[in-house]
Order: sequence, then C-alpha cells, then structure tokens
Amino acid sequence: MGASYLAVGWNRQKKIYDWLIFAFCAVYLTTFIVLTAIFNPDYTFETVLIRSTSTLALILLHVILIIGPLTRINKKFLPLLYNRRHLGVTMFCIILVHGAFGILQFHSLGNVNPFVSLFTSNTHFGSLADFPFQALGFFALIIFFLMAITSHDFWLHNLSPKVWKTLHMFVYLAYFLVVMHVMLGVIQYETNPVFIIIMAVGTIILITLHLIAGTREVKKDNIIYSSSIAGDNRLKGFVKVCNVNDILEDRAKMFCIKDERIAVFKTGGKLFAVSNVCKHQNGPLGEGKVLDGCITCPWHGYQYLPHNGQSPPPFKEKVSTYDVKLEGNDVWLNPLPYPEGTERPGAMIEMENVKYKMENGKKKGQVS
Amino acid sequence: MPLWQKNIQMIKALRKRHLQIWTAWAVLIPIGIISAVIVRPQFPKDKLLQPTSTEALPVILKFLDKDNYAIQIRSNPDTSLLQLEWINKKTLIYPTATIYEDTMNRNSISNAVLIGRIEARGTYHFQLNKNLVRNNYHFILYDFIHQKIIDSITF
Repeated sequence: MGASYLAVGWNRQKKIYDWLIFAFCAVYLTTFIVLTAIFNPDYTFETVLIRSTSTLALILLHVILIIGPLTRINKKFLPLLYNRRHLGVTMFCIILVHGAFGILQFHSLGNVNPFVSLFTSNTHFGSLADFPFQALGFFALIIFFLMAITSHDFWLHNLSPKVWKTLHMFVYLAYFLVVMHVMLGVIQYETNPVFIIIMAVGTIILITLHLIAGTREVKKDNIIYSSSIAGDNRLKGFVKVCNVNDILEDRAKMFCIKDERIAVFKTGGKLFAVSNVCKHQNGPLGEGKVLDGCITCPWHGYQYLPHNGQSPPPFKEKVSTYDVKLEGNDVWLNPLPYPEGTERPGAMIEMENVKYKMENGKKKGQVS
Repeated sequence: MPLWQKNIQMIKALRKRHLQIWTAWAVLIPIGIISAVIVRPQFPKDKLLQPTSTEALPVILKFLDKDNYAIQIRSNPDTSLLQLEWINKKTLIYPTATIYEDTMNRNSISNAVLIGRIEARGTYHFQLNKNLVRNNYHFILYDFIHQKIIDSITF
C-alpha cells in the first residue's frame, strides 16, 4: 500500500522474485546459445538470438498465464501471484528483442521500410501454410507493450479498474496470436515433431487449468442461499449463509449473493461483513486474514478495518460494508451493501449466543 | 447506480468472461494447431534447414565463383552421389534464402526442385538427385520472404 506512487516498491520478496526471474532467463539464454553453437555452428548469431528469445518468451508466457488458475485451485501458489507483473514486464522485454531482431533480420535489409515490408511482403491471407504469421506476432507484441507500460498501479487508478482490467484481458487474445504465430511460422519449417508436442502440451495444460478454475468460481457464484421466513421482520432482507463455527478466528468465509461476493470475518468475538473485492487489484479479501486488527488482502497486503471497511490512516482505500446477524449459530447476511467506508456494528458472537438461548428457554449465562 | 456498485458487478461479469474466453480457446486453439500441422509441407529431412554438417564429396565436377559466394558441384569417385556445395564468401544481404534446381531452365521456381535453405553466412552441402535429367546445372537463389529471385546460376 502506498500513499504516493513509487516506480517499484521494493521489498525482500520482490527482490528474491526478480533475482529468480533474472537467473532463470540468464541460464536459459546461455544454455540455448551454447548448445546451438555446438550442434548447429552454421546458425548466425541473429538467428540464435531470435530463437532463444522466442522460446524463452513462450515459456514465460505460459508460466504467467498458469499462475492465475493455479492460485484459484491451490492457495500455496499465491506467492507467485504477488509479483506476476514483474514476470510480465520481463517477458515483454525478451519478446521485444525477438521482434526487433526478427524485423531487422527479415525486413530491414531491403529498400522498403521494415514495417511496411512486414505487412506487404507476404499477403497470402488465404493460405494457411503461407499465412503472414509475422503480422500475428507483431499484433501480439503491441498488446504486450500496452500491458507492460500500464502494469504500474498509477495506470490502474487513472484508467479506472474497468478499463485497466479490460486492457489486460487482451493477454488472452495475445496468447492466441502467439500460438498461431508459432504454428504458422517456425513449425511450418521444423521437421522435428517435438516442437509441436511441446506447444500442444503447453496449451492443453493452460486450457485445462483455466477451465477447472473458472468452472469452480462460477459454481460458487451460483450457490443459492435461503432467505428469512416471511413475517420475521428482524431478519427481513437477510439470507442464511453458514454456521458461525464454519468461520475460523481471524479468517473469513465468502458468499456470492446477488451481485458480488461478500466476506464475513470473525475477529475479536465479532462477525463483520465487507466486500470481498480489494480496492487495489480486486484481490479476494476473504482469502486473507486479520492482522493487527486489519483485514489483509492476500495478494498485495492492502488492509481494511473490519468495522468500517476503511484503510487505516494515512491510506484512503475503502470497501463496502454489510449487515450481519447471528441467530443461535446461524450467520445471516444482508446482501445490500452500504456505501464504502460505512461503519457497521457487526454481530457479537457470545452475546448473540446467550440472547438466543435465553429466548429459547436455556439457563441464563450458559454459552454453548 | 453508483460507481462502486458498477465496479462490484464488473468483477462477477469478469469471472464469467474469463470462463467464456477459455471455453472458446479450448475449441479454437486445438483447431488452429491441428490445421497448422495438417498444412505443413512435407519436406524431406535435412533438406530445408541447414543439414547437419556433411562432409564434402571429394571430386569437384563444376565450379563457379561469384563476388559474394562460390558454388561447386561435387561427387564421389564413381559419381553415384552428387552434391551441391555453397560457400558464402561475404555475408549475404538476404538473411535466409532457398536454393532451387531449375532443370527446365525456365528461371522460375514453379516446377523447380527445392534443394535447401541457406542463411547469410556459412558453407552448405546439399545432396542432389543424380537421376534428374539435366542438360546443365541451373540453380535459382530465391528470397522466400519477399518472394523474388535473387540470382540465377548456370554451369
């Protein structure tokens, strides 16, 4: 969290993450170049650079796209998500080298402007085998460029979350363009089937993980909760969501009712309900925990006070709050949100239990 | 509707959109991959890309020296094998090019036989089909990126 923008808010975790990325890229490129020099000494350095950067970028792209669904399926992968943008920017830099040398090698030595040559040297749009695959790669590069330059939080706030997120979802189109760029490009010339197999395996893994994670999330969205009994004015507008014992201390359970997900936190003997959506990058607050009295987003550590959904000063982010009640052990939630930052009393756990038992004829002071 | 409510609705819609996109990709990407594999030209192995380093055959039948490259037709002693040797003396201005053997002397690649591909530097050896009927050796150096003939070489 920051009250002002920094280029990069370095911390220990970011440094380790970036060093690992750098080390992997350096080792990969070096190994590729050395092996090519040994087994294919006639290849020019430009060709080796084009191929090494393209394969490295392809690997990184698959890793980047796998992180999202992996974290949905298993929370242990969350640390990979924290600084995923660093991977993305690295991938863009590598792919920029690939694109630049590709244009240099294949289009810049003639008498036509290289960018004009890129689009006019091959116009066989009707042929699959001769398709101008380089144009596909160029458009993918443009998408990655736009994503890389807007990866900073500054753009997230200034473009608005909706515009920013829509822009960054173009990564899926870029992925499709990259797959076809490879399949209609180098695969048309390579005789070794191992390249096709690697490409196919990568896409199968990616598609499978995204479908599994996506289906699970949409199923959660479609769970129907039971409403209060007609005539019960105390619980009018509330729906029963869970048992109070289902929620761990300083943790939450998430429920999708009407429009969006709501996180019900249990902390300090009380239940509080806030929007599940973090103001930073829409991270799932309900998957975080309460630290030092603040709800902490698991993605990037943004914090909010449970009773009013406001970030502790000097930070200004706010999330919506909701009414929550406890009837016996049943947690009831009103899905109508209050404006962001509205203070709500929450539901006292022990008091509610005692009150319920008194109303239902149990001995005074007995708590289950 | 206040902006904060619109943003909240956007998240659920985004989740649905993610699933829709990946469902579409689950269909389109395999179609794309399979189609690309089906239309792959059936090149003989070691023909299109640089072949693994091949030894030059001992007998030189023909030799042609140009400013930027030299070409030799080689064979073994009993001429049961024929080989084209291409030597780049200077870096070609074309980063990659293909060599065709134009047996009909039409100066066109339409009915020519693809020999192999070369890059801007290096020495290459390609096997020639000794059973082809030829009056002379006529080769075309072809830039397949810009689709134009770079040079014609006739022995």
